[in-house]
Amino acid sequence: MKTVAVIFGGRSTEHDISILTAISSIIKPLELTGEYQVEPVYISKTGEWFWDEKLKDIQLYQSGDIELFMQKAPKVHLLFEGGLVLVKSSQFAGRKMYRKIDVVFPAMHGTHGEDGELMGILEMANVAYVGCGVAASAIAMDKVLAKQVTMSSGIYSTPWIWFYADDLATKHKKILEDIKQLKYPLFVKPAHLGSSIGITRVEEPSQLMNALEVASHYDDKVIVEQGVQNLIEVTLPIIGNNEPKPALLEQPLTKPEDFFDFETKYMRGGKKGKSGGKSGAQGYSKIPADLPHELYKIAEKTALDVYKAVHCEGIARVDLLIDSKTQKVYFNEINPLPGGLYAHNWQQAGMAPVQLVSELIRYAEERFSRAQSKNTAFTTNYLKQF
Amino acid sequence: MLKGIVSLYSPSFAKSIIYMLQSTEYQVGQYLKWFWRTKDFSQVAHRRELDKTRRARLLLFLLGAGMGFQAGVGLACITLGMLGSMIGGVQLGFALLISYPVVWAHLIVVPLELARQLVVKPKERQLIARSRHIFGETKAIKIAVAGSYGKTTMKELLATVLSAGKKVAATPGNKNVSVSHAAFAARLVGDEEVLIIEYGEGQPGDVRKYAEYTTPDIGVITGVAPAHLDKYKTLEAAAKDIFDLAEYLQVKPVYVNAESPAAKLLIKDRYQTYSVAGIDGWKVSDVKQTIHGLTFRMTKGKKVLKLKSGLLGRHLVGPLACVAALADSLGLTPQQIEQGVSNTKPYEHRMAPYAIRGAWIIDDTYNGNLEGVRAGLSLLTELDAKRKIYVTPGLVEQGAKSAEIHAEIGKLIAVAKPDKVVLMNNSATKHIHTALLQAGYAGDIQTENDPLAFYTNLDQIVANGDLVLMQNDWTDNYA
Repeated sequence: MKTVAVIFGGRSTEHDISILTAISSIIKPLELTGEYQVEPVYISKTGEWFWDEKLKDIQLYQSGDIELFMQKAPKVHLLFEGGLVLVKSSQFAGRKMYRKIDVVFPAMHGTHGEDGELMGILEMANVAYVGCGVAASAIAMDKVLAKQVTMSSGIYSTPWIWFYADDLATKHKKILEDIKQLKYPLFVKPAHLGSSIGITRVEEPSQLMNALEVASHYDDKVIVEQGVQNLIEVTLPIIGNNEPKPALLEQPLTKPEDFFDFETKYMRGGKKGKSGGKSGAQGYSKIPADLPHELYKIAEKTALDVYKAVHCEGIARVDLLIDSKTQKVYFNEINPLPGGLYAHNWQQAGMAPVQLVSELIRYAEERFSRAQSKNTAFTTNYLKQF
Repeated sequence: MLKGIVSLYSPSFAKSIIYMLQSTEYQVGQYLKWFWRTKDFSQVAHRRELDKTRRARLLLFLLGAGMGFQAGVGLACITLGMLGSMIGGVQLGFALLISYPVVWAHLIVVPLELARQLVVKPKERQLIARSRHIFGETKAIKIAVAGSYGKTTMKELLATVLSAGKKVAATPGNKNVSVSHAAFAARLVGDEEVLIIEYGEGQPGDVRKYAEYTTPDIGVITGVAPAHLDKYKTLEAAAKDIFDLAEYLQVKPVYVNAESPAAKLLIKDRYQTYSVAGIDGWKVSDVKQTIHGLTFRMTKGKKVLKLKSGLLGRHLVGPLACVAALADSLGLTPQQIEQGVSNTKPYEHRMAPYAIRGAWIIDDTYNGNLEGVRAGLSLLTELDAKRKIYVTPGLVEQGAKSAEIHAEIGKLIAVAKPDKVVLMNNSATKHIHTALLQAGYAGDIQTENDPLAFYTNLDQIVANGDLVLMQNDWTDNYA
């Protein structure tokens, strides 16, 4: 039986979402396959690592007992010895417990995890892992970089500008001048955060400065995007390596004047201000999106092009904006680890959660195996000349 | 081995014992068999958890108190022995201390058996004696339903359809032994026009006993298949017991399912037979099956019935036709019969469809015989789906024929060609698995060690477009 380490939590504003993704959407279906020994690895909000069977229980976090657990439990060390080995004190006679990991399943959202940092550690450990690699994760999690990369592949985005948060204090006139090129409404976003954290929809210039300050508070880069008229917002979950496979285009049921902030997506159970929807991010959308066949195909192709342009592997979700009158499709964002793996969409597309996690493990092993076949050594006489 | 011994002394041991008693419906013989077969008492509850009823709580208290008392006495003997105040105290104390779980696991059945012999059985005998004359005196038409399978469904169909034109009473749920019949009789108001009584055969002589007691006017035999073979030993013995109903009725009407191969052999000319082709001059045509139910026509001379039922499975066309014909013979109008049949819907855990995440699940877990497996797999073959999954733990109570019957199930599954087969790990699994492979089944075979986790997490296992047929149940008291 292969051992899979699921790493979640972390120093991110999306810490709690990560816990839910890990326990409900990854650990549970992985265990139901009966094919994997699953080891939960939790990273606290302050960055300590823990590894314990108890970490699979959602009630540990819901009850707040996680704080007590962290006070008593030994922290985890990583050993890079022929791959990745988890090490912790057994708390018995000074002995240590070791667990060799075959595959890592990152379940981190946001900073210090989804953005490529964790992937860098895993690359160094030379262990197979699920999802996008270092570069794709870093690009995808930087909205500015993602737009620059996709633009270079001929994929349209709505007009946008960006600036460093530090410049807001010293160069705000220049920033405001640049923004004047864009038509209202605008969307002001921290460049690296997901789950709609720190995003403001700006209807008129009087609201702009406040929105810029909010975004600057969260991130060192801020992006300002022009809104799309006659908007249809869609998102497409994709899995795969060289031959990406799409799920179904999903359409959030919002009016153009609404947008999904964190509260709406995860706390209220659906459309902002309305009750009665399903809880969580799954209760507010239409699957498949209600689009004419041709437009559906264009949007699907655009999302797949984005996935390839950013060189995503394993899993990602591409968000698109469509002008329903002009039928023009714009790239909005790419998310290298969608919350809950977007399993609800895959399930609608005919892939059960247990199949989804198994497929993702298979993609991880396939990429790892491919990487192992590459030559990383090159013999030279360079040192001998000194 | 060591884990098993340690489990005898774990705090959860008492709970496991009461769980075992409850799961065997407090049948002492079955419970003791299970107890002696069990090697690890920390792992007995796989299918459900202890239902903390009043009886369970009382037994749990008695067991805990008894074990605590014996352990206390044991410790006292050891202490006295070590102080020199009791000769052999240490040895006796250790013996008491070591043996308390096993001793009390047996002693706990004493109050149960005493209550059964001194309270329950005399009460039941009284109830049966009182109700015997109710069945004898009633003016209602009494329809008895017997068979190895499908009898609860037939009883419910009769009750539903005949209720469209008659005042009907039927034995509730799957309550089908003498004491249930007596309780049913005691609840009758007296104005009923039709009584439907289900006979649950369990051992030779049962059906004759029920017939003599309830004195039916009409009999329906739903089929014969291997069931309760641990008591009947052979299929022939089970068939003879079921057909005792027909022998009792002599010239009175008897309806027999002609689609049951084992029943067919015992059919006599005077019996009415029913099947998908029809019954008693009624011809069945235009049968259509979807996940939402069955539709078909019945014609006899100028009489036409256009029937629509929420039930699933072509094997139910015959029983529905039988009920429609019987309703006609009892004077219901065609409109009443059509209305009655349209009221028929799947019963809980019997070919009952429900949707999860865009997948259709057909719950047939109450099915416990080979004919039911055959019918279910036939339905699975007929319905369209992106992916078909068949789930079975196998059939319990198959006696010496278990290996043969489960091999047959394996062959039937291979013919139905589901994309995936999920088996529950037990003594039947290897027979199904081997037969599947021998029959050339090329799909995915998954063996589950934790049935409860599987059944409660179906939402993680299915996807839109899947069709899952779950048949049979394997409770924890079977190995």
